[in-house]
Amino acid sequence: MPETVLIVGGGPAGLEAARAVADLGGRVVLVERREVLGGTPDEANYAALTPHLGSAQEALDRLRAGVGRPEVEVLLGSTVTACRGSVGDFTVTVSGPDGAGREVGAGAVVVATGFTHFDPGRETQMYGYYEFPDVITLPDAEKMLKEHRFVRPSTGEPPRSVAFIQCVGSRDRRIGNEYCSKVCCGVASKEAIEIRRLLPDCKVYIFYIDMRMYGYWENQIYWPAQEQYNVNYIRGIVTEIVGKGDRLLMKGEDTTMGRPLEVLMDVIVLSVGMEPSRGTREIAGILGLEQNRYGFIAAPGEPMDPISTSVPGIYVAGAAAGPRDLEDTMGTAGAAAARALGVIRSARPAAATAGA
Amino acid sequence: MPIPLNVLEARQLARHVQGPQTPPTEDIREKVFELEAKGEWIVQRVPEPWLPVTTKYGRIKKIPVGHTWHHKSCGQCGHIPGYSTSIFWLHRALGLDYDDPRDQTSCTAWNYYASATSNVGAQAAVAMRNFGAAYESGYFPQIHCGTSYGHYKEVREQLVAHADLRDEVRRICDRLGRPFVMPEEIVHYSEWVYAMRDEFARRRVLDLSNIDVTVHPACHYHKLVVEDAIYDPDVYGGQRTAVVSAVVTALGANLKDYSTWYDCCGFGFRHILVQRDFTRSFATLRKIEVMREEADPDVVLTHDTGCVTTLDQSQFAARAHDRKVGVPVMSESQFAALAMGAHPYRVCQLHWHNTDYRPLLEKMGIDWRERWREFEDDLERLKSGEKQFLTWEDADA
Repeated sequence: MPETVLIVGGGPAGLEAARAVADLGGRVVLVERREVLGGTPDEANYAALTPHLGSAQEALDRLRAGVGRPEVEVLLGSTVTACRGSVGDFTVTVSGPDGAGREVGAGAVVVATGFTHFDPGRETQMYGYYEFPDVITLPDAEKMLKEHRFVRPSTGEPPRSVAFIQCVGSRDRRIGNEYCSKVCCGVASKEAIEIRRLLPDCKVYIFYIDMRMYGYWENQIYWPAQEQYNVNYIRGIVTEIVGKGDRLLMKGEDTTMGRPLEVLMDVIVLSVGMEPSRGTREIAGILGLEQNRYGFIAAPGEPMDPISTSVPGIYVAGAAAGPRDLEDTMGTAGAAAARALGVIRSARPAAATAGA
Repeated sequence: MPIPLNVLEARQLARHVQGPQTPPTEDIREKVFELEAKGEWIVQRVPEPWLPVTTKYGRIKKIPVGHTWHHKSCGQCGHIPGYSTSIFWLHRALGLDYDDPRDQTSCTAWNYYASATSNVGAQAAVAMRNFGAAYESGYFPQIHCGTSYGHYKEVREQLVAHADLRDEVRRICDRLGRPFVMPEEIVHYSEWVYAMRDEFARRRVLDLSNIDVTVHPACHYHKLVVEDAIYDPDVYGGQRTAVVSAVVTALGANLKDYSTWYDCCGFGFRHILVQRDFTRSFATLRKIEVMREEADPDVVLTHDTGCVTTLDQSQFAARAHDRKVGVPVMSESQFAALAMGAHPYRVCQLHWHNTDYRPLLEKMGIDWRERWREFEDDLERLKSGEKQFLTWEDADA
């Protein structure tokens, strides 16, 4: 058995894990559902990365370059459909673009199937995402910002007022997502800065429950957004968005002032949180991995071991295990690579002994 | 507001690609059946034939077509009797079998919501007493009142969650000599109207293409136990409940939107009892005036007792202050019955309604003067003692 690690998912976590396995002398088979590598940052058209506003495309290009080497075999347009065996000796069936199945032998598996953005239509009525074109999401805004423009989808005209609503699909007991998605406060503030740079006459508001600016984001994004770019942060709970003429009426409560809130906006950006991707939900079933109550892959050894899943020899990296920012994603990817190769190497002598 | 459909269609498509979402709530009906398997209660099955409808998180709900036990509404019978009569008339028009029981009790939920009177055990016992009565009749409950419907669904949750409450209520039902029964589905009449809307459309005799309609969705229908309300991707993108709105469209009338659709009608349960001026103001300033300003409807349709009475009967107060009111209000069952040729007085009993409905009838092509003359003849017959009450034969004469 060669020191092969099968990695499922070609986003930042999968790419970084693949590079790390190859750097450590192992071999990788990288399985990606789409026809291109890059994962959600590519699929959702991420423009600038939080907090430094570096180019997402350039960052992804560097990650892609890291797997352009003979030790890494990339299977695009492919999905894992079955798995048998155990640590040190898995046989994984991969279905290719033509539907043909191929069996891959691997000593360990890294799951890096990531997250999907919360579907704001699930919490119906409140947000009108499927009713009003000018209600958009963080990734919708990101797509426009990538093209260096920001307009009302209904008219193509630049907006005069934009509101971000935080915690859409996160920290919400009613819909069962009690967790914080960790990145939305930073990303919304970053996008608010970008909109103010593009449209200096546009008023930008962020309606929040709490702003959660982890680590250095406080100084890197939060204060500059207010002090340099005049983004208005309003502590309040938005309860409903309705159409009013050709604009959007946002209703809710200003919890600082303790009074009802009704304001007209041109564009409303929903700061949608993270949920397990379809790939994450499906791979959990195929590999027999325990999931937590939200459908993410469970890591029973947390907090000291956020990598190991409930199945020995199968590790999880990035946002397949829960809401993760890019820093955590890259960190867990490297750790998963090391653990995967480590378990193969420690299993081999034992297997040889057993065989003898 | 112009809506470029390609933006929204693209979002729906992307949503489809993402695959089905996991509903955030458990399906309580599974628990109801689990309790039956443990011998805790009887589950009354939805009778065949039934129609499948989709609820908020994509689950299928069974709506029985006929053979239903009609749990009437206190407020409908007391204030707007044409509401219940229209529901029965629609069943008769389709030749459906139903039971109109004489021993149904009030659900007592209005007091509970308005004043926090009563207690959980008593409330649940009333619900189970009525469910038991329906089961004994062999007919499946169809609930006319939005308050009863919402309340019974809350009661179902409480009974499923609390074994001690089940024990308490089971003892009460035993003493009443009633079986301890939970229906497989809790069905509101407006869900039946929604499910049968195409049948009504086929029997429509009036052209409604020039009738503009606004819809008020009832709070106790879609805000209590939200996952059990009907949603349809073809109605407002599946973003608000489809009942009533889908009926308007099916009947060929024009569905018009307005910005305060989500707001309460003003009834508020407590407010109508202890702060009625607030109710009157809210109903007219936040609902009727906004509708007139933004949609200028010919009629407001809704699907609950309190909503019809509040939206209709509050307008007299605002009229005295020269506010921009004067939109007739009725249930979608009355509107569908009118569209199918029901008598506006003998069946729909619009003379109980406060706001002037006659311009609407004229626009719908109904000769209300002639219909009123017929109704006055009926009254003369009652006065002379020739008849004691009107019958279905009189209604359809």
